[in-house]
Amino acid sequence: MSPVDKLKFEKRDDISPLGRTAAIVVALIAAMLVSAILIKLANASPLEAFINLFKGAFGNKRAILETLTKSTPLILTGLATVIAFRGKIWSIGQEGQFFLGAIGGYWAYRIFEGLPAAALVPIVILGAFLVGAFGGMLAGLLKAYFNVDVIISTVMGNYIIDYFLSFMLSGSGPWREPGSYYQQTAEITENAYYPLLFANARIHMGFLIAIACSMIVYLILNHTPFGYQLRAFGSNPRAAKFKGINTNKIIILTMFISGGLAGLAGTGELFGVQYRLRPDLSPGYGYTGIIVAMLAGLNPIGVIPAAILFGALINGSAQMRIATGVPTALTFAIQAIVLLSLLSAQVLTRFRVRRVDHA
Amino acid sequence: MELNNDPVTAHKKEETYLLEAVQLTKRFPMVLANDRVDFNVRRGEIHCLLGENGAGKTTLAECLYGFYKPEEGDIRFNGRCVNLSSPNDAIHLGIGMVHQHFVLVEPLSVIENIVMGTDHKGVLLDFAATEKKLDSLCLLYDVKIDLNAKIWQLSVGEQQWVEILKALYTGVKLLILDEPTAVLTPPEAERLFSVLQRMKDEGLSIIFITHRLKEVMQVSDRVTVLQKGRKVATVNTKDVTTEELAYMMVGRKVVFQVNKDEIKRGDPILQLTNLTAKSDMGLEALHGVNLVIHQSEILSVAGVAGNGQKELFEALIGVRKATAGDVIIAGKNIVNNSPRKIANEGISHIPDDRIGAGLIADFSVEENLILGLEENPPYRKGLFLDKSHIKKYAEESIAQYDIVTPSMKQRTSYLSGGNLQKVILARELRQSLKVLIANQPSRGLDVGVIEYVHKQLLEMRRNGIGILLISEDLDEIFTLSDRIAVMFRGKILKIFEAREANIESIGLLMAGITDKETQ
Repeated sequence: MSPVDKLKFEKRDDISPLGRTAAIVVALIAAMLVSAILIKLANASPLEAFINLFKGAFGNKRAILETLTKSTPLILTGLATVIAFRGKIWSIGQEGQFFLGAIGGYWAYRIFEGLPAAALVPIVILGAFLVGAFGGMLAGLLKAYFNVDVIISTVMGNYIIDYFLSFMLSGSGPWREPGSYYQQTAEITENAYYPLLFANARIHMGFLIAIACSMIVYLILNHTPFGYQLRAFGSNPRAAKFKGINTNKIIILTMFISGGLAGLAGTGELFGVQYRLRPDLSPGYGYTGIIVAMLAGLNPIGVIPAAILFGALINGSAQMRIATGVPTALTFAIQAIVLLSLLSAQVLTRFRVRRVDHA
Repeated sequence: MELNNDPVTAHKKEETYLLEAVQLTKRFPMVLANDRVDFNVRRGEIHCLLGENGAGKTTLAECLYGFYKPEEGDIRFNGRCVNLSSPNDAIHLGIGMVHQHFVLVEPLSVIENIVMGTDHKGVLLDFAATEKKLDSLCLLYDVKIDLNAKIWQLSVGEQQWVEILKALYTGVKLLILDEPTAVLTPPEAERLFSVLQRMKDEGLSIIFITHRLKEVMQVSDRVTVLQKGRKVATVNTKDVTTEELAYMMVGRKVVFQVNKDEIKRGDPILQLTNLTAKSDMGLEALHGVNLVIHQSEILSVAGVAGNGQKELFEALIGVRKATAGDVIIAGKNIVNNSPRKIANEGISHIPDDRIGAGLIADFSVEENLILGLEENPPYRKGLFLDKSHIKKYAEESIAQYDIVTPSMKQRTSYLSGGNLQKVILARELRQSLKVLIANQPSRGLDVGVIEYVHKQLLEMRRNGIGILLISEDLDEIFTLSDRIAVMFRGKILKIFEAREANIESIGLLMAGITDKETQ
């Protein structure tokens, strides 16, 4: 065979939705095959592992509801990513804004603690959205007026927020639970709990909020002048500017909404699942949200199944670990393999790879 | 081989050409760019490649230069089959190419650019030897250029000389020039032609790509006409007329003139006073421009690219800050207003860069038709876009402007250049406008679409619109204008009444030569 000199990517014509679905199925099978090798190397049975993974995620009503609970913050951080990325605004600040939302919600809770649930919960949600949005907006302002790269400002912002929370929860910090050994606040009172959707399951109102948000983001993107302008700005900022779209306004407003959505994810985990603010409130929901959004092809409705897939992986891998002794690290590896194969499938459906070689 | 079109080869069997392409086919996704094209170049000839935009001229040249690899067909050089897998292979054979877009490093000098762009042995660069060789090349071909000037100090025309020198320096036997006159003033083009003649006398072969018939008649020995990727014919230039070539190129009879009515110009509608602006490099590129545009008038700005037209256009539509001066429309100063505000005053514009500045390629045709209108009722109803109204509006636009698209939901990037321009025309002209600023509205379009664009502009003029036409194409300017302003280095040198102007004096002014200097 002649040596391969170059690989060339050529854009394909548009591909049918059926083809796209087939590509996802093939990618998932490929991911399972590769993961099977790793599981085998860890001296476990791949088949048994996968069965347990599936059972853990969807085996019974309880498992399904828990999967949905795990996917709730991912839908919201995924949406935060979708709206920013559709404007080619590369925000990586979802993790920080997740915590800002938790901080904002907790702050509002501390002020209005005594109110009845019907008033307190909406106030908490509003506080969370506004504080998260404020964080996003700061990055937007820096980009609009000082042309500071959004990737840099949001990544740095994540650190600042992380350290700020550490300070608030430190030994002498104002929010530390008195006398506690852990870095955490006191448990919130029941009047601030997100209502649960079912008895005996952890799934809470946040899931409905997340679904509603994906509808709202869909409407914004496709049916409002702002969404139109955002998409125009994302695919051709020069033409957008020539045709009088106020690009600074777009950047700032988009980051405001994106930050607010990530903030809702944070406050949902705090008031719906954990009931305390702790530094480990998120095991990386912000970053996983970016993956979810990419997987969804930046489609706000597609974010829901993509988030559920990752929620299932997170939820199911717990049972897989317990039942087959596959190490924890491996479950993260499997998540990464799923992501890589899905992304490859996406590239391959959009482009044709051709070999260009010297004869 | 060739058909009866080439009487010389008919009886001269087995002539070995310098370069020969046999049944060359090149496909792109959705396009057959070259369809079994036969093409050859003799030693010491100037061979024109003629065709409309999108006829496959540049693609054919890029195949011969090794930039594209044809799917089928052979390329022979000196009678031997060659396999060009990159431009490097072509350069080694002695094939050079000057592209439409130059590849020069702006902060470096002419010599430095030429040394960098060529193979050299050893670690150190020998500038002295290079300079000596370049001097003798300049002398041989009568090229006048300051070898130590930095590229950014040179005009676009001069930069083209650098590209040509770069090719000559590598010792080319065959030089391919892709639309070289597009960036030249008429006098500069004349100079180029005389240098090309000299190169030919020295035994070089030249492929000259163009869509201008006059140039073909003037410089070439033979001409090959392409149409939609296929070769129509190869003929000896002296055996054909301009009309015959036009017919071969377009496949139908072409009207060279559109009818311009006699219309009395109306009241002043747009006034520019002392308009000044800087270029992207931060240098002052527009020096105090004064112009008055009247209703029912087409005022043209003629000039070679890079003399401040871009800055003038951008300052007028609000995407470039004017550092001084006023722009007054109907008594209202709108200088440095936002682009949206300016548009709302009734100023429409057609940008020269359709894909880059005029359209969102990822959007559907329907969406592009309301770009800039999305916030205005009736396209917006309350918080939301009024999709049913937008659909109706798009349907009307597509019908009225004869936009060829499979559907209004079609992604705009799949449309042809002519249809892209029609989308822009529909969008800009269907609004209630007072002034139209058109920057090279027919650049890169087929003859038929150019005719369409010109008719639309004249229609606007008839309707009382004031039109500022920025163009580098003198034929277009003479066809359409009521008055012609010549722009050079950011200044308006002179404004002519179109019927009193002649192409020679405007050509000289475009090169910055005022009457006094020529005496």
